Amino acid sequence: MKILIVDDFSTMRRIVKNLLRDLGFTNTAEADDGQTALPMLQSGDFDFLVTDWNMPGMQGIDLLKNVRADPNLKDLPVLMVTAEAKREQIVEAAQAGVNGYIVKPFTAGTLKEKIDKIFERIDGQ
Amino acid sequence: METQDKLMADVTLEQARHLIKCLEEGRVSDAREAIDSLSQIREASLFVEVGKLTRQLHEALSNFQLDNKIAGLAAQDIPDAKQRLNYVIETTENAANKTMDSVEECLPISQNIQTTANDLLEDWERLYRRELKPGEFRKLAGRVETFLKSVSSDSTQLNGLLTDVLMAQDYQDLTGQVIRKVITLVQEVEENLVELVKMFGRVDEYNKAQQQTKKVTGVEGPVVDKNREDVLTNQDDVDDLLSSLGF
Repeated sequence: MKILIVDDFSTMRRIVKNLLRDLGFTNTAEADDGQTALPMLQSGDFDFLVTDWNMPGMQGIDLLKNVRADPNLKDLPVLMVTAEAKREQIVEAAQAGVNGYIVKPFTAGTLKEKIDKIFERIDGQ
Repeated sequence: METQDKLMADVTLEQARHLIKCLEEGRVSDAREAIDSLSQIREASLFVEVGKLTRQLHEALSNFQLDNKIAGLAAQDIPDAKQRLNYVIETTENAANKTMDSVEECLPISQNIQTTANDLLEDWERLYRRELKPGEFRKLAGRVETFLKSVSSDSTQLNGLLTDVLMAQDYQDLTGQVIRKVITLVQEVEENLVELVKMFGRVDEYNKAQQQTKKVTGVEGPVVDKNREDVLTNQDDVDDLLSSLGF
């Protein structure tokens, strides 16, 4: 399981990376915005994407839309971990095809729960 | 002021009656005189108004000059505040990294203690169940001794790392002071802006804007206003919304 972590703050990437490692996911890579992340996703064999929303360059929501529009990436599970919590934004992310949505600040338990749920649903298909 | 207006109205009314009377009686030159004096009254009140406006303008201009603080704010204090806030970002980032460095160093140590203790406990229980051979017991005793020694030195190392975590929190005091200073500056800018608004006579618009709820579109980072109705405040609310959308 190869996971790409996208956040403009290196400390947040590090936290997510540590939590993922605790959950047994040791194969991770990092990008600091959508613009850097998209080519990595297109050329790498990633199985999962964890992304922030508010980033300079390409924002997380646009990264999500680009992923869904790319025939090779359209089924990639995407988990958003973000401080953006407006009702309309969550609806927008859901409509764009996000698989999970976590609002910051979050706990290790929430991250595990959402990841488990995403894979449960994928395995159930 | 009102009595003055009333007085003026009375005078005007009287002159108007006089004018009508002159016209009715066919006294043309008297009528012309009456018209002249009526227009004089109007000119006089116009002069008073212009005088008032001039005084207001003068006051506004001198206030504006007095408030050359605004120039200072723009030229010095705001750039200084930007620098201070960047310092906050740097300092908090360093502290977070220092803390995570120490924690990442602590984790394998405590994990190692856990695995070794579990292994030893298993053999210890075999000892109680008299399942150990004499040779195995000697080995177990040796392992216990090594473990106890390592726990002692590991604890010293953990103590050191935890003290590092503790010390990394000193940023709170420093950044708190810096942020408080920036808050004071923001307050000062606000006061100056309000003065400007008043000077240009837009107090009504200011009051109206104060009442309005601000609509923010697009990204805005963490929302601190707990009364906003368009924002969800916790994960449970987010989950509820998503499940209502069929998630």
